[in-house]
Amino acid sequence: MSKIVILGAGISGHVAASHLRRKLAKEHQVVVVSPNSSYQWIPSNIWVGIGRMQPEQTKFPLKPLYKKKGIEFKQAKVTTFHPEGDAETEAPFVTIEYVAEKAGQTEKVTYDYLINATGPKLNFEATEGLKPGTNGVYSVCTYSHADHSWKALEQAIAKMKKGVKQKIVIGTGHAKATCQGAAFEYILNVEQELRRHKVRDMAEITWLSNEYQLGDFGMDGMLLSYGSNILKSAEMVEMIFEDRGIKWILGAGVTKIEAGLAHYENLDGEYKTEPFDFAMLIPSFSGHGFKAYDKKGVDITDKLFKGFMLVDADYTPKPYEEWKVQDWPETYQNPHYENIFAPGIAFAPPHGISKPRKSKNGTDITPAPPRTGMPSGITAKLVADNLIDKIKGKHKTLHHKGSMGNMGAACIASAGFGITKGSGVSITTYPIVPDFEKYPDSHGRKLGQTFGDIGLAGHWLKLALHYAFLYKAKMKPFWWLIPE
Amino acid sequence: MTRRISKTKQFIMMNPIIQFFKFIYLSLKVLVIVAGGHGGTR
Repeated sequence: MSKIVILGAGISGHVAASHLRRKLAKEHQVVVVSPNSSYQWIPSNIWVGIGRMQPEQTKFPLKPLYKKKGIEFKQAKVTTFHPEGDAETEAPFVTIEYVAEKAGQTEKVTYDYLINATGPKLNFEATEGLKPGTNGVYSVCTYSHADHSWKALEQAIAKMKKGVKQKIVIGTGHAKATCQGAAFEYILNVEQELRRHKVRDMAEITWLSNEYQLGDFGMDGMLLSYGSNILKSAEMVEMIFEDRGIKWILGAGVTKIEAGLAHYENLDGEYKTEPFDFAMLIPSFSGHGFKAYDKKGVDITDKLFKGFMLVDADYTPKPYEEWKVQDWPETYQNPHYENIFAPGIAFAPPHGISKPRKSKNGTDITPAPPRTGMPSGITAKLVADNLIDKIKGKHKTLHHKGSMGNMGAACIASAGFGITKGSGVSITTYPIVPDFEKYPDSHGRKLGQTFGDIGLAGHWLKLALHYAFLYKAKMKPFWWLIPE
Repeated sequence: MTRRISKTKQFIMMNPIIQFFKFIYLSLKVLVIVAGGHGGTR
């Protein structure tokens, strides 16, 4: 009998838990530890943030589902890692602290295999004054943040209807923030909602981002097929922004937020401010600051973490020109403890994807690499498949591999909500991490599989994915037929 | 606001009939990329 403990119940943790439970016999134990009582489909938070979807439509409670499926659920947060056990406990374990009903209680949870799918910490503290709901700045990173954001936007719309002009700023709230895609979706959705409310002319909308160019998205931009043309993602986004009257400020590392004022440093080393009435800025992501100890209680955090969890990547520091797809992990296994894995956003990337840039003052202003829902799901499934094969004795080695340098991703970005008036920017990328050796003439990506499209169909597709992935997450009949 | 997307292109982008076929095409294309698999690089 094996016991697999999964930390986190987001896209990655839930995918791993559901596949493990489906394919392993009941004698094997699957345990999920998460402080959240609900599963949430994060990509739809954009629509919660414009009031077109209720938070309840994007989430469902985990406890009843896990009970029905035979997955043990502990609503708790992990505090420390003990991969060698300790003086009292022979088996490796993590210590957890319960929240909600059993708040404050702690427990040692032993495991045979550990999947760390804790995702990122939303590091609002890294930027002074960025805390959502303060200083007129909001976030769409969780459904509650998005709902809060909508309430503020609704008030701004009411003011516009009374003839008061509003300045809206959307983008990234830190020099090294990632997830520009979410901010991109939100700015286009907000713009469309203002048109729907017939107040578009009362608002000035500005994109404020740490990207060097529009359409970088933390992926170094893309060269993509667009109809019969080949164009840069920068050109595509510029076309959309100009067409919608959205201004942009690039290479901006936001340092501080004051009431209605964003302070930032740009790549020219200038310190500037951007005023706003309503802002949505994505924070930087960081690891959770977990600690790890060996059997004797000695701190071995460095063996498990480098901010995020260490996996089978090449972490040797090297310049951008020497970055290779081979640096990226394939199995998400910790190099020191072979029974620990970290798929999704929980693993430490070997380096960025976008070319690193510094301001004239030496400040790093570069988007961090994004790891969206699709790679999170794919990497979680391959970790689960490797464990299933190992437990069943099919393969002794890790047979399933999935590097972001050999994996495609679809980013269906909503550009406005509505069955007949909606729009979407559909971008697919293959591979996620550019392979300049394999595709030297197309900026490291395979044209045809890296393409862009704009239109109503994109909105329908995003909506279809919303329902399909919630169906899959609820583990309804034949859920496993829907790919990650 | 600068017009960068022509009225014809705008019509195509928002026409439900054209976009229905585009939806089928995009769904299949995304499926091919996802189902196309993944692997190692070393």
